[in-house]
Amino acid sequence: MTEYLTNTEVPDYITEPVVRAIDLVKDFDTGGTIFRALDTVSVEIQRGEMVAIMGPSGSGKSTLMTILGLLDVPSSGSYWLDGEDVSMLDRTKQAQARNRKLGFVFQNFNLLPRLSALKNVELPLVYGRIGAAERELKAREALIAVGLESKLNNRPNELSGGQKQRVAVARALVGTPTMILADEPTGALDTRTGAEIMDMFRELNATLGLTIVIVTHDAEIGRQMDRVIGLRDGRLSNNILHDYYGVQIEQPVIENLAMPILAPLPIVRGKEAQGV
Amino acid sequence: MFRELAGMALDSLRANKFRSLLTMLGIIIGSATLVAVLSLGNALQSQVFEQFIDLGTRRIAVLPGDPKANGARDILGYGLISIQDYQVLERLVAQRPDIFRNIVPEISSATDVRAGTTSIKATLVGTNELYKDIQRTPVAYGRFLSDVDEQSLARVSVLGYQVAKDLLGEDPAILQASLGRTIEINGQPIQIIGILKENGGPFSTDQRVFAPMSTVRLRLVGNLDLPGRGTQMSSILIGLQSEKFVDTAEAQIKTSLRSSRGVADGAIDDFQLNLPTQALSVLSGINGAITGFIALVAGISLVVGGIGIMNIMLVAVTERTREIGVRKALGATDNDVLSQFVLEAVVISLVGSLIGVGGAIALVLLIGVASGLGVAISWLAVVLALVFACVIGVGFGYYPARRAALLLPIEALRYE
Repeated sequence: MTEYLTNTEVPDYITEPVVRAIDLVKDFDTGGTIFRALDTVSVEIQRGEMVAIMGPSGSGKSTLMTILGLLDVPSSGSYWLDGEDVSMLDRTKQAQARNRKLGFVFQNFNLLPRLSALKNVELPLVYGRIGAAERELKAREALIAVGLESKLNNRPNELSGGQKQRVAVARALVGTPTMILADEPTGALDTRTGAEIMDMFRELNATLGLTIVIVTHDAEIGRQMDRVIGLRDGRLSNNILHDYYGVQIEQPVIENLAMPILAPLPIVRGKEAQGV
Repeated sequence: MFRELAGMALDSLRANKFRSLLTMLGIIIGSATLVAVLSLGNALQSQVFEQFIDLGTRRIAVLPGDPKANGARDILGYGLISIQDYQVLERLVAQRPDIFRNIVPEISSATDVRAGTTSIKATLVGTNELYKDIQRTPVAYGRFLSDVDEQSLARVSVLGYQVAKDLLGEDPAILQASLGRTIEINGQPIQIIGILKENGGPFSTDQRVFAPMSTVRLRLVGNLDLPGRGTQMSSILIGLQSEKFVDTAEAQIKTSLRSSRGVADGAIDDFQLNLPTQALSVLSGINGAITGFIALVAGISLVVGGIGIMNIMLVAVTERTREIGVRKALGATDNDVLSQFVLEAVVISLVGSLIGVGGAIALVLLIGVASGLGVAISWLAVVLALVFACVIGVGFGYYPARRAALLLPIEALRYE
């Protein structure tokens, strides 16, 4: 895995956050009444950070995730992704930004059932207009990186849950995104397999400096993150791990960053950050 | 990108083989009909022409000139045609067997025909054996005139259908029994040797009574000779090898007759030519109507096929909402999704069309071999069918594809 994408220089000091979202508001029209799913939420995520978005059901964490993932647009507020204002992109630009900058991992894998693992991983490159030969090479490398070199030509129904999620991770990685968004990535897996996937995320984070944002319900996962962004009733909520999940944190994690940080910020990565 | 999209389309076709085949059925039938009909069209057309040949599509009738026509000369016997003209044309016909098939004289006059106490008016036509090759009304009972009848001035006649019916009745047994019976024509006893089948249309034989020309000239009708020109004729029929020689034949006949009859340059023809153009246009009208009708059926079938495709594509978009969401999450633009589904519809339509065209080609070749007709595949029809299939794929695939393209990524991803 260390050989994968070694040409990507990961600086120790970063001045530009990957995500800078200010005063995000998202309203949903539910049959005449307006439901405010996100209420002036401001979030910054630094390059190389591993962040969890947590909160009770209906707290707005999925909504925040879809907006950060450019799958939806905020009702108001602004969002810079990788230094680029993406708050008001049209649908095509949005799709292109998703393709270039983001990698998605879903709870239910969302692999296309008729395609082999290799072809599934190639998909983002297809939409990135990468030539067939290069596509296959990159997809192969990504699958090797997640330890699936023996399953390249298997279809999803021939793979175990953990293997499917590894394919999904490879698919998220293959386009060298600036950020990976994972929505309950261990939700459909047993504890052991889930832990393996989390180990993989941590390793990717440590070795590649990949920014990873995980939406989760699982306090155990939250504990392992650099930082937890807590949400309650659509608003940022401090100390959610303790207050809602009842988890005692040994090492205080940085909670939300409501104000943009302008000074260079040292990044603590990898196992040291887990505080376990 | 196109290759990837085409691959996806073929892939989903393979995934739902039976469903795809059912969907294609309309397109298959439509394309096959189009190719088969247009390919067999020429063969069918000549068949149709053969059927209707006795309408007179392969002959030109030379008729007397109209003395009242503008430019006609005011002389006695102007425009009449005689055996001299017949002989001139006979030589012309003999010179160009590639264009002309035969030549038949016709002397006709109004006559009274009488059988027992029944008397009717009819047209008496004096002609020869060849007449039946030009005016192909089949003989229902007995036989047509022969050369022997002509040479022996035989007192024989062949009755047109209507004449026989009015004179003898409709009963086939009686008609059959009437052969050999003697009737009176212009008061002369004449034996019935044949009765023709019914033949309507512009060149109907139904009201006519046929007898050998020599018999008519010398026994039945009074003096028919024109001064210095021999026997007067009412018309001369010239049979052609094919409909396509009508124009050439007309020109040649005109030139011959004008020179032999001494028509001055600039003067109008002192004879008339009755061309089969009207009959031909009726025929090609019928043929066009048949082809048009079948093409319409093929078109309807193709459109129905298109609706089937639209239907199945709408189902596919609903079934694959999640897939669409995933693709969009991975960076597929609206246009990517639109192209994917339009292409899928086009592939279904095009594959269906290929199957139909292939089947039709096989069928046409088979018919060609089995029937011995000269059939040729109409490549125009093949191209037409394939292009039409593409148009239908795009036309009927666009709406479902657009629905897919406009799905919101997040809603598509969450679709259960």
